[in-house]
Amino acid sequence: MNLQRIMALVKMELKKLIREPAYLFLMLLFPAVLTLAFGIAFGDPALGMDFSVLTPGLISYACIFIIMTVAMSFTEQREQGLLKRINVTPMTSGEFIGSHMISNMFIAILQVVIVLVMALFFGFRPLSDVVGFILAFLIIALFSLCSVGLGLITATIAKSAGAATGISFIFILPQMFFGTFIPITDTTRIIAMFLPSYYVVDALASIFGGAPLTSENLLIDFGVISIVSVAIIIIGIQLFKKYGNK
Amino acid sequence: MSSKSNIKDKPQKPEDIFDPNNNSAIIIKDLVKQFEDVTAVNGLNLEIKKGELFGLLGPNGAGKTTTINVLCGLLKPTKGTAIVGGYDVRKNLKKVKELIGVCPQEPAVFKFLNARENIELFGNLHAMPKKKIKERTDKLLELLDLTEASKRKTKGYSGGMRRKLNMIIALISDPEIAFLDEPTVGMDPRVRRSTWEFIGSLKNQNKTVILTTHYIEEAEALSDRVGIIDYGELIALGSPKELMEKYESKNLEEVFMKITGRRIVEGI
Ligand SMILES: Nc1ncnc2c1ncn2[C@@H]1O[C@H](COP(=O)(O)OP(=O)(O)O)[C@@H](O)[C@H]1O
Ligand SMILES: [Mg+2]
Repeated sequence: MNLQRIMALVKMELKKLIREPAYLFLMLLFPAVLTLAFGIAFGDPALGMDFSVLTPGLISYACIFIIMTVAMSFTEQREQGLLKRINVTPMTSGEFIGSHMISNMFIAILQVVIVLVMALFFGFRPLSDVVGFILAFLIIALFSLCSVGLGLITATIAKSAGAATGISFIFILPQMFFGTFIPITDTTRIIAMFLPSYYVVDALASIFGGAPLTSENLLIDFGVISIVSVAIIIIGIQLFKKYGNK
Repeated sequence: MSSKSNIKDKPQKPEDIFDPNNNSAIIIKDLVKQFEDVTAVNGLNLEIKKGELFGLLGPNGAGKTTTINVLCGLLKPTKGTAIVGGYDVRKNLKKVKELIGVCPQEPAVFKFLNARENIELFGNLHAMPKKKIKERTDKLLELLDLTEASKRKTKGYSGGMRRKLNMIIALISDPEIAFLDEPTVGMDPRVRRSTWEFIGSLKNQNKTVILTTHYIEEAEALSDRVGIIDYGELIALGSPKELMEKYESKNLEEVFMKITGRRIVEGI
């Protein structure tokens, strides 16, 4: 592992985030605008959807879109010959994937900060302490790995950057509808139980709701998120290495 | 460096090219690369000496790019061996990657970065010291007349500018062995000449350069030796002068013509 190589790619990815409108919109403006829209539309607790319910959903919603940007980024770089170009330098594939994990964790944490700050503005008052917040960030960092993994799987299937955008919705839509801020019924809960976003939202809701951090429920959430995220990123890396890096 | 005996019409046998003194930058033995229905490289045998500027000349589709891609590890050989800088590309690719610089046929640069950022990124990927990256970036930008444009994002670059940057990125790490795959295609004649001068200057630094081209003048002007390939096979090998003498031709185009009955660049 060479830190210079990893940080050089992280820096490149973050420059892309700021300079490429598509990435800037999907990663930073979209969560901000969404929070704003919900703030204006549902800000009134009388509607029964106040920010203590919305915030965990908005946070994981933003993180789910990392699937799309990762898929776009890899297919674009493949189309433009940049993956090959990186491949003839001494950079190892571990360093390469590592740099993408780091940059997307960073982006996910940035998204949490954006949503949280705006939600605070709209009257959201989380009941968690500092340790709770650290745990929330940790959960989102883990969840971003899951999104990176699904993004890699999408980039493996997709032939072009355009196709990647469409195909990524296979992974985005179910997590959006059944796992985030759309209220879950007993029927949809069964579907949701298979989606990592459900556990992220559940965990964040418990943390922000002031539940003890050692509660069994939270431990289960954390366990599921860790296992699923690690499994998916490993599958994504293996698939992409084998079939996607051509 | 190269004697008359190096001129061969037929593919050489491996024992002809085995190099006990380790003077070779590259040794290719019986190399075959097959895609589903195409044999892109068909039993290639070739040795390239350290410090040599070697021109790989042949028509479009001859197998030049495929050969380069095998040598830099992007493609696995179907059969045969490729040794780069003393390391087998199948067994020791990591070592090979530390020695080489590759200028791909299609320019590959990050659009949202400017030229300097692109170059420095790849300097970092080679884990070069920051100071050396900066020095070499300045020098190469100056040599290829790209300093002024280097602060602009490459999105707005002309084809020629993008090609120059493509080559600088390949050379940032000051590689022992450089693969330049048709580096001057699409450059205007003036820029092409200055790029030739630059490529020629690499020879004075005792670097090994493998230059693929389908421009006859380019191969003639720059190469110590040329290998002419056609349908994945080496059909002639020697210095441009030797080849022209042997085939009683006034240029390499005629040499190719006499061997194959075709022209290198069609439609002229
Ligand atoms: N990835 C590939 N899949 C299938 N055929 C290929 C591939 N790459 C190259 N070829 C074929 O191999 C032959 C040699 O191509 P190439 O090495 O690019 O030639 P050159 O660089 O000399 O123009 C051509 O017939 C080309 O169509
Ligand atoms: Mg080619």
